[in-house]
Amino acid sequence: MKVRINQQACAGHARCNHVAPGLYSLDDNGYIASTGFSVEAGQQALALRGARACPERIIEVLDEPASASTGAA
Amino acid sequence: MTVDHAAAIPPHISAHLVQDFDLWAELTAQGENAYAWAANLHRSTPPIFWVPRLSFLSGTWVPRRAEDLRRILQDPETFSSVGLTPYAMLLGESWRLAPLEVDPPDHAKYRALLNPLFTPKKVDALEQDIRALATQLIEAVAEQGRCDFNEDFAKAFPTLIFLKLMGWPLEERPLFQHWTQTLIKSVDMQVVTDNARAITGWIRNHIAERRLDPGDDFTSYLLASQIDGRALTDDEMLGINFLIFIGGLDTVTSSIGLFFRHLARHPEQQAQLRANPELIPNAVEELLRSYSIVNMRRTVTRDVQIGEALMKKGDMVLISTELANLDPEVFDNADQVDFLRSSGAAPHMAFSYGVHRCVGSHLARRELRIALELWLKLIPPFRIADGTQPRFSAVGVFGMEDLHLQWDPVVGTASATPAERVSA
Repeated sequence: MKVRINQQACAGHARCNHVAPGLYSLDDNGYIASTGFSVEAGQQALALRGARACPERIIEVLDEPASASTGAA
Repeated sequence: MTVDHAAAIPPHISAHLVQDFDLWAELTAQGENAYAWAANLHRSTPPIFWVPRLSFLSGTWVPRRAEDLRRILQDPETFSSVGLTPYAMLLGESWRLAPLEVDPPDHAKYRALLNPLFTPKKVDALEQDIRALATQLIEAVAEQGRCDFNEDFAKAFPTLIFLKLMGWPLEERPLFQHWTQTLIKSVDMQVVTDNARAITGWIRNHIAERRLDPGDDFTSYLLASQIDGRALTDDEMLGINFLIFIGGLDTVTSSIGLFFRHLARHPEQQAQLRANPELIPNAVEELLRSYSIVNMRRTVTRDVQIGEALMKKGDMVLISTELANLDPEVFDNADQVDFLRSSGAAPHMAFSYGVHRCVGSHLARRELRIALELWLKLIPPFRIADGTQPRFSAVGVFGMEDLHLQWDPVVGTASATPAERVSA
């Protein structure tokens, strides 16, 4: 599973980082520090929650296994 | 800015999209029912409707769906923020509130000056100061058994944090509190003008002082900063300082007032947070969603069609955070406050979307969280004070004009009140 981030469109809400600080690192300005990463097994649910928390909807989760889809909570 | 109550409906606006009410006046008149009434607009109005007036402003589009508002806010080329506020114009001056009233690409240059000061990490460093200030204010009223919540806490708390953050003298608190209220909440243009003059006078003096004698404060930081390889002009300095002033004070005051009115009216939810303080961060998000307070505007820069709405260049568009946050397409039972709602699953837009996202959002969240934590820890269950009626106002920034709280004080041990000692 991979996470792809449209870093240009980050507005600095930092909600991804709030939900999953170990996955979504911020730069010195409080904006997302990367354009994406591979998610290790065991971190997938957390990565998804971080993606869903983005108010700008700029975090995309790829190769999402069907079993990881928990539906809208 | 002209008062135009009999405004004709522009010909490009379809009659069936016109809703003949003043959104702010209706919300104000609805009082404690305002947000339930706003939630119902999602059932009774088109996705984007047009109102012929908005308090002292003339006709504007009102998109109510979160998705439409996101698209609008993420497209600053079509929906411009230039000339949002009247302050400089009222004074016959030409500075602007930067970065709020600046569109990309210049926007980023101003925003870059502010971002590093308000990161989650920077806010972490303020935690102890914020807690100390809140504790001091709460302990001052604990044994009284009641308080004027606005005067005793909601206004003082963010003002003190603001002065601390700016490195400005804390003794100026009464002056700043007065300015905040009269500047943002007044619809009397003479009052607004007089106060804008007083505030800009104070800021200009302060800039002049710091220019001669730089210190460790925000103004000195701006004086040492550069844009496009040059120092900031006095007008730019003024606009940024003024913006921080109007962004950081009244908004937190207004949110806290609505949060505490809710808890005073819903003892069962107050008890829920007292018993489960770990829910407080989620409760802050849910209360921000349920009681959003900011209405911004954008000006259309080119003809654009969204759904049924044909917007023409020059049209105004209201950015109503409360409508987006009550959108049933995003939130089930949107008019219900539910602290167990998973705040991460569907993000709210209390702090807006896009490049103009509230730069102080992390600080605001922290202030709100600490206010809830410490009130619930230091004060027994509170309610609306006997013989008082909370008063809500929805002009510009929504909030409580009047809110008195009451509780049964635990004499002498206010700071050690166990949550179980329920007295009401």
